[in-house]
Amino acid sequence: MLNFFRKNKEQVAEINTDTEPVILTVEKGKTLLNAALRSGIGWPHKCKVGSCGTCKCLILSGQIKPQIDFSYVLSPKDIADGYVLACQSELKSDIKVDVKLIKKLGDKK
Amino acid sequence: MKLFVNARYLIVPISSLVTIYGIFAGGIYTWIGVFLFGTYTIIDTLTKNIHLRAEKDQNGDSFGIKEFQYVVMYFMLPVFILLQIVLAWRLFQFTSGVIIEPSVLSGINFQSGITLTNLVGATLSTALWAGLGIIYGHELSHNKKEGFFVSRLIMALSGASHFTYAHVYNHHLDLGHEDDPATAPRGRNVYTHTWLSHAGQSKFSYDLEQEKLANQGKSIFSFDNKWIVGYLYSLPSVFLFIWSGGALGLLALISVWSVSNFLLEALNFMGHYGLIRSPEKPVEHRHSWDNDNVFTSWFFIEIGRQGDHHVRGETYFWELDDVGAPNYGIGYFSLFVLTLIPSLFRRFVRTLLDDWDKNHATEQEVAIANKFKELGIRS
Repeated sequence: MLNFFRKNKEQVAEINTDTEPVILTVEKGKTLLNAALRSGIGWPHKCKVGSCGTCKCLILSGQIKPQIDFSYVLSPKDIADGYVLACQSELKSDIKVDVKLIKKLGDKK
Repeated sequence: MKLFVNARYLIVPISSLVTIYGIFAGGIYTWIGVFLFGTYTIIDTLTKNIHLRAEKDQNGDSFGIKEFQYVVMYFMLPVFILLQIVLAWRLFQFTSGVIIEPSVLSGINFQSGITLTNLVGATLSTALWAGLGIIYGHELSHNKKEGFFVSRLIMALSGASHFTYAHVYNHHLDLGHEDDPATAPRGRNVYTHTWLSHAGQSKFSYDLEQEKLANQGKSIFSFDNKWIVGYLYSLPSVFLFIWSGGALGLLALISVWSVSNFLLEALNFMGHYGLIRSPEKPVEHRHSWDNDNVFTSWFFIEIGRQGDHHVRGETYFWELDDVGAPNYGIGYFSLFVLTLIPSLFRRFVRTLLDDWDKNHATEQEVAIANKFKELGIRS
């Protein structure tokens, strides 16, 4: 029952589960990048409007809701492999995602 | 406070409706859109020294109500369509030789028939307020859901549907660099910029579609080609004006599109004139000019807070704030008048650009500015 309510409000993203996992809560209507930056996670980014591709990441499991057509920035192979733009992705379910972070919450540098 | 913060952005919607009513009422009232534009220029100039920060509650959240602002922005699409319809109706009356006489429709008085002079007034009023529709086309271009589509339709009413893609994928990425046609380099005037920026953005949008479709193995002659589809969205306006006024109707539509696109490109011109960014550097506050006096902010739904907008492109207009970006110190209306006289504008902007070179630019950006100076272009 509790999970039912949580599902409508927020989803969980597990970042880099194979190396140094970080757990991130993403509110409904917020993008993956915005949630990460608000939590102090050093997610690489530049334009935040879906045009530069800097925030590209690999979805390992789960589903996202794209806000734009990624094919203007990502190659067909990237899209087929599961890459998305974090700045234009809301979460439809809990996900596992790979991205090369600049810094993590709690890092000194 | 919450009501005030949201209601103050209704200047354009209310003025657009007044303009529509004026054209419907006929006679001298067809000029009301021009009159309002002139009046607002005076108000903007008189309030040039009043600058406000974005208001926030105790939790640091904006007072803006997203649902309300989006309803207003979506509402502007039928308003701008109605603006074209009422002008087309006047064109039909003129070309049909309808006698000029007082009439009543559903209890509303209006003047049936129209003189050529007042038809010019109606066309200019329509052109100016259709041009101001770009502020909604711009804001909605940053909403990637249904708002993006509404943005395309609003821009299509001015024959500029390509703007929505070019603005996001070109202007926001290449700002301040020669790859961005919407950034005006030093020495260019607003008239030349209008043509170069419009054509450059359209070409970018075409190239973007061509590359996307090539990657997908599709022909460029496809309904998946957003550049083509965007121009198809403009066809109803073309048919409406030709049907209602023949050659004169087409001339009126060309006039409306010319003025509205001139206003669009004038905003681009003013937003980044002469500012330079090294291609390897990210877009920062210093790469935009702010125009944030009180009237400009409310009228143009904060589009003048360009410094903040270009760094936080995903931010709603009512949350944008003063971030210490370079500032013209006057509003868009006043500055627009200056840009119409290129020599005057360049004299005005010279000290501002000198200050930017000295206090904001990086070494690489100063080096590029110096190349302009070697060519005799100081501003």
